Order: sequence, then structure tokens, then C-alpha cells
Amino acid sequence: MSNIVEAKSLRKNYGNFMALDGVDLTIPRGAISGLIGPNGAGKTTTLKALTGLCDVEGELSVAGRDPRISRHKLMEDVCFIADVGILPKWLKVSQVIDYVEAVHPRFDRKKAEKFLSTTDIPANKRIKELSKGMVTQLHLALVMAIEVQLLVLDEPTLGLDIIYRKEFYDRLLNDFYDGNRTIIISTHQIEEIETLLSHLVFINKGKIVLDSLMSDLPDIYTEVLVDVDKLAQADALKPIHVRELLGKKSYTFESVPREQLQVLGELHTPSVADLFVAKLKEEKHG
Amino acid sequence: MDKFALLQFYGLLKREVLEHRNLFIGAPAVVAFLILVAATWVATQIDQSQLAEGLRYVSVLFDGLSPFDMAPFFMLLGIPFILTLYICSVIYLINTLFQDRKEMSILFWQSMPVSNFQTVLSKIVAIVVVAPIFYVLIIFAMYLIAMVWLTILGISNDIDLVGIGWMFLAAIASLVLIYISAIVASLWLLPSMGWLLLFSAFAKKTPLLWAGGVFILVGFLEDFIFGTQYLANWVASRASDPNQYLIFEFQNIFERIFNYDTLFGIVVGAILIAGAVFMRRFTD
Repeated sequence: MSNIVEAKSLRKNYGNFMALDGVDLTIPRGAISGLIGPNGAGKTTTLKALTGLCDVEGELSVAGRDPRISRHKLMEDVCFIADVGILPKWLKVSQVIDYVEAVHPRFDRKKAEKFLSTTDIPANKRIKELSKGMVTQLHLALVMAIEVQLLVLDEPTLGLDIIYRKEFYDRLLNDFYDGNRTIIISTHQIEEIETLLSHLVFINKGKIVLDSLMSDLPDIYTEVLVDVDKLAQADALKPIHVRELLGKKSYTFESVPREQLQVLGELHTPSVADLFVAKLKEEKHG
Repeated sequence: MDKFALLQFYGLLKREVLEHRNLFIGAPAVVAFLILVAATWVATQIDQSQLAEGLRYVSVLFDGLSPFDMAPFFMLLGIPFILTLYICSVIYLINTLFQDRKEMSILFWQSMPVSNFQTVLSKIVAIVVVAPIFYVLIIFAMYLIAMVWLTILGISNDIDLVGIGWMFLAAIASLVLIYISAIVASLWLLPSMGWLLLFSAFAKKTPLLWAGGVFILVGFLEDFIFGTQYLANWVASRASDPNQYLIFEFQNIFERIFNYDTLFGIVVGAILIAGAVFMRRFTD
């Protein structure tokens, strides 16, 4: 599988703050990739760099182009929904459709209108009159009507209620994703997207701390609910994270064979949220 | 340029008109309304027989004269519109790139396959070429209303209206001259337009303050370091030459554009506009 994103040693600083500190990243074509990190970790800067919206040092290729050189050409193949309501508030719904139809060669107006007909969004309303959920739905309708290779979503459901959030991801999977397109999602709501992902990236303090296919995670990471009498044995295997769970201790191991761990207690593959906490704490404590 | 590129540019211009409809359409409509109200008020203060006599005199005056010879007379009526256009141009140019960043919609505009050069060019074309069209159309509508009023007055006072017809043609000819004047004046003022756009793209807050402040600072430094006021004098000489703002005869158009001062200004303006394109490349 070829890669739609290839980044090497990306660096970006805002004054003294290092937003990206040597980011190496590869995202396979056709993946649904989750970019997870705490606030200020560099998620938005990474996504902005991938879409040519901020300048970065390092090597970068997205859909075969350098976003810093040919952003507008890249945008024929890439769509972007940001974490803030970025649709111009003064435009009417019909006018924003007119605009995208005029400027985007791969926009299918009928497709957008068909999608919108399934929502409560009126065509003659100005965007400032719509709720946040409706604005997100409208943006998704525009994006889904564009034939692109890569969709970049930066906290797309931030501030939406559970119904809109669920509907957003359902639509994304059913109406946009076809196995060939690639989606990169950055979000805090890990549990909501965990089942969608085929590729996972953790970022912290401008550095990638995990870059793996979801299918590889069970082979690399194991969570063990360790029996009380085997704690010393578990500690010896150098877990990356230990936490209290229902009066017992749960250990997370990286690259330790399962056969070796079976004797310690009950084995699981950690959830993305647990793995995220484990990797970040590992970073913190070295 | 292929068909899609033309349609794309049309889409960009349409966006500018929709976003700035108050400056492109609202402002001249208000001026036209105020002029009509003022004219109506004046008419009510004058005795009807005197008004009819005045109309008869004007009708005779315009009868048979070339519309283009009489057009300059009507251009004076266009002056409030031209002044409004210049004020609106300043407001437009200093805000247009800044506003996108302020309301974060730049992320949407930048997510479309439109280059920054196309975007900035569309803004220049919108204010230099498109905005004057709306102004001229609104002046035309104002003239139409005035014509209807004069026709009613003429018929009710049994006045020969042939001269009024010639007057209307002169008014239309003046619209052509007003439109051309607006474009030629914009080329003359291109350095100022580029300067405003540059700071609209650059400033994180109060772009007008930046544009004015940096200009004053550069002028002050020039005076302090070299003891000269070249920049201030150059700008003052360009701003204060009324010949550059109104063209009364078609023969003057060529010499107004193709002279050293205007062409030099176009080059300076183009460099500043290129700076605005560069500044807009990144959103942070």
C-alpha cells in the first residue's frame, strides 16, 4: 500500500514554543488515521502543515505534492474541515454551494443538495443563523460532494451533541469512505472514533510517540490485569504503564511476547484511550 | 485561460460582491437616495413657474448638442459617488484580507483550490473594475428617476422635451467617463491600494493603524536619517493632483495611463500587491 502522506523531520516553532519537533509521519493510502494528542501537542499544526496552511521545515509530500509549493493544486485532491466553525457567516447556504461549484473542479452540486435534503438546513438561511451542528453538517455535505483522495478533519465534532457526532461519523463512513480514500481525524473524543480507525498516530509535545496500523496493536501492546502475587514478576518485564484497577494493578507492556505475559494474569489489548494514557505517561516519566 | 478558470474567477468576483455588498451597492444607493431627497426638497422650495422656466432654458441649451460635449457638466453630479467610491475602496482594501483571518473563514477559503494570487487579484479587479460598474448603474438609475420627474414636469408645463432627451444622452455619456475615470484613478492610486492590501494581509489587529503607522514611521526615518521628505512629497503629489481623478475627454485616457508617473506607480503597486499575496500564504 503506497503512502498518501510522507513527512520527515518536520519542524515548526512559534517564537520559543516548538510546535513540531522533528515529526516523522507516514499515512497509508486508504487508511482512516487518527491523530491523537493532548492540547498543544501539535495536532493542528501538523494538519495545517499537511494542507499547506502553515510553513514548516523538513520533507513533506501529500498526495504526491509539496503543500508548501502547490497548495491550491493539492486542494483539488484534499479537503479540510477545521476545529472552528470556519464557513463564512455572511454567506447563505445556497451561496456557499454556488461558490464551491464555481471554484472546485471536482464538486458535484447534485450530490451536495441530495445530502442537504436529508437535513433540516434551509438553503436560504445565512450560515450565522445555523446551529453549530448544522454548520458542520453543511461543511460535511460540501466535502462529501467533492471527489478527493484525502479528507483532513481537525476536531470536526467539537462542541456538537452526541446525536450530531454520531450522525457525522456514520455519514463519513457510509457516504464518503470507499476504501480508497484516506481520512485523517484529529480528535479528543477517542472512544467515538476508535472503531473507525485503521491507523493510529499519537503526538505529544511536537513529537510522534506512536505511529502504527490498528491491526498491529495487539501484536505490540498488551494489557495485563496482574495477579497480586505476580507483581514483582510483572515489574521485571518493564511495563510502559501501571494503573490501579478495581483493587488490582493493570500493566501495559510494549513488544513483550504474549506467551511471556500469560502467566501474569488476564490479557487484553489496551483500548486506544488506555494506550494513549500509557504512552503519554511513559513519555513523561521516561 | 480555459473556461473553468474564467468561471472560477467569476465565482471569486461574485464572492467579493456578496461579502461587500454594502460598499459596492449600499453606499452608492444611499448617496443616490440623498441626492434625490435633496433635489426634491430644493424643487419644493422653488416656485413651479420658475422651475418650468428653468427646465425650458435647459432644454433649449442641450438641444442638438453632442452628448459628449455636455457630459463634463454631468460629471460634476458624479463627484459625490466618486468620493464615496474612494472612501469605500479604502475600507474594502484594508479589511478584505484581514477579515478572513479575523473570522477564521480563511481556513475555508484556503481549503479550496484557489491560489493566493487568484484571490488577491480578484480583490483588486473587484474594487477597480466591478465596484465602479455598480456605482455607474446606480447613478444611471438616479438619472432615470430624474428624467421621469423632468418629463412629467415638462408635459405638465407644455415644454418641448427634445432638449431633455439630449440632456439624458449627455448624462449617459458622463457615466462612461465616470467609469473610465474610476479605473484610471485606481491605476494612479495603485501604490496606495497595494499598501493597504499588504497590511490587510499582514496585521493581526487594527490593519489601518498598521498601514498608517508604518507609513509615518518610514517617512520619519527618511527625514531623520537622510534629511529628505521624498516619500511624503511623492505621496502628497499623487494624492493632490485632481487631474488624475476625473477624465473629461476620451482623448485624455491614453496620456493619463501611459506616462512615467502612472506606470512607475503601477510597478510600485504591483510589488506591494505581490507582498500581500506572499503574506497571505500562511494563516498563522
